[in-house]
Amino acid sequence: MSAVAAKPQAGGAMNPTAMAVGVVLLIIILGACWVVSPNLGLMALIGIIIGGVLIGFGTHFVPVGGAPAAMGQAPGIATGVAMLAAGAGLAGLFGGAWAAEQGMVVAVVTGGIGGGLMMAITCLMVNFVYVFGMGIPAASGKVLHDPITGDSQAEYKSQGTEGHGLPFVSFVGGVIGGILGGAGGTLIYLELLGLYEATFPTMMNATAAQVLPVAVSVAGMFAVALFLVNAVLTAYNITGTIEGPHDPKFKRWPRAIVASAVASALCGFVAILIVAM
Amino acid sequence: MEQIVFGIGITALTGALATVAGSAEDTESNIGSQGDPNSQVQLAPQMGFLHRIFNKAVAGEPPAYGLWCALGAGLAWAFMAMQINAILAIVLGCVLAVFVQGVYATTAYLGRTASLAKFGQPVYVDIIKSMTTVTMAHAFIAIFCTVALCQLINGALGHPFPLPLLALIWGIALGAAGSATGNPYYGKERQYQNQKFGAGVPISASGNIVRYAEAGERNSIDNGFFTHKIGGSASGICFGLIVFLELWRTILFEKIYAGWGAIAVGVLLILIFTVIDRYIEVWARKNYGPYTAAKEAES
Repeated sequence: MSAVAAKPQAGGAMNPTAMAVGVVLLIIILGACWVVSPNLGLMALIGIIIGGVLIGFGTHFVPVGGAPAAMGQAPGIATGVAMLAAGAGLAGLFGGAWAAEQGMVVAVVTGGIGGGLMMAITCLMVNFVYVFGMGIPAASGKVLHDPITGDSQAEYKSQGTEGHGLPFVSFVGGVIGGILGGAGGTLIYLELLGLYEATFPTMMNATAAQVLPVAVSVAGMFAVALFLVNAVLTAYNITGTIEGPHDPKFKRWPRAIVASAVASALCGFVAILIVAM
Repeated sequence: MEQIVFGIGITALTGALATVAGSAEDTESNIGSQGDPNSQVQLAPQMGFLHRIFNKAVAGEPPAYGLWCALGAGLAWAFMAMQINAILAIVLGCVLAVFVQGVYATTAYLGRTASLAKFGQPVYVDIIKSMTTVTMAHAFIAIFCTVALCQLINGALGHPFPLPLLALIWGIALGAAGSATGNPYYGKERQYQNQKFGAGVPISASGNIVRYAEAGERNSIDNGFFTHKIGGSASGICFGLIVFLELWRTILFEKIYAGWGAIAVGVLLILIFTVIDRYIEVWARKNYGPYTAAKEAES
């Protein structure tokens, strides 16, 4: 069958075999980590996996319209899924890393709020430009009524478009996505920082104060890298654009959770190996 | 107390730098045509509409600015390690990063436009000569402001991340904020100035971008001039608010209830922005009204 003749696959369909393979891979990586570093490393890896899953799940909430949104042809924010999620999540990581000294709970929540605040400001300014710069009201193309406010959407779509701007549900989705992404990124950073702070002094034959800048830098770089891995992976699951939690594509999230868990486990294992081997 | 006042002063300065960076970033990306609207610049010749618009989108704005800012900051960091004055080091680092941006812009324009040769789109040498330097100048402002604010965050406010990593993070955030806010204004309002105001571009009109100006053919510097007024300003305010409020809530409220104060203020700010967004949405629905009758639309 040629590519043209092939019917498009149902994007939301789950493939049980692939999911099972993913879970088996996850268990194998966790087992390998247990062999290499049974206590500290394994705990860090579990934290990294939870962080990666939070990023992958959170990215589904971010309303991204891509190129059509830039012409007011589709709702959402006019940029790429992975890039916007990364922008918000990394802004959260910035705040979370700053609050690292105040304990894990405070730092993770601070990171989440940082990501949510970035998305709230960005979504507000997007609507500001649509409404006051271009004279276009927000309208969803996927639902007849906004699930939160109940506002009707269809009659606010201009002719020949699928909607435009950010309806309220998309705004809320963006904020939730930023919160989950920021919290996930910060959790990964904290887990790696704790591991490196504990292991670098012995490895490098130096004091804890001397290795701290190196530990912070390496943990920060791995956290950014893991963030991008999970955001890009989820962007493939979304295939281009998504309006937010009300979009039918949102139902694909279980697939991304498994994929994010496996990818985070593998990347996290590499990050652990540099101190465990 | 003195430390808090110092922190607030630095926060205000970083907010101002971020505002300038956001504005310059959006204008640079519009002159270079780098964001999502570039899909139309690439599409137009394929639909038979030849043009003289710059065309340099190879990466999205966030990774591109992440690269350039990290590069500028990394070089500045190296210069500072060589005992060069911090301001001079940042300027030198950013100049070198801008040369990379210039090479990227030139090769992207040549490569992308050459790929349209079979549709008859010429490569204009005068466009490379006149517009590349303009995008480089705007990129320098954006990169310099971002690296400078990262240096302030790292050096004066004591953030644990090293300068290049901070610049990578804020470079990506700068690109994300600038492209999210500025792209619709360039894509819809400028490229499709021939379409009705107050409505999205019909999908059937894709590729039919405006190619003529008051005198002669439109070029990308005209686009930068036009979009800077609203798209650029909005992008600047967006990135400025993100940086300023993130630092402000941390500096002022971090010590209250062991960090929970800053979190509570963050939640409050999110709620305030949510209320403003809802107000704007309802205001637009009331004042602009629906495009069609409700029953007709639902049928």
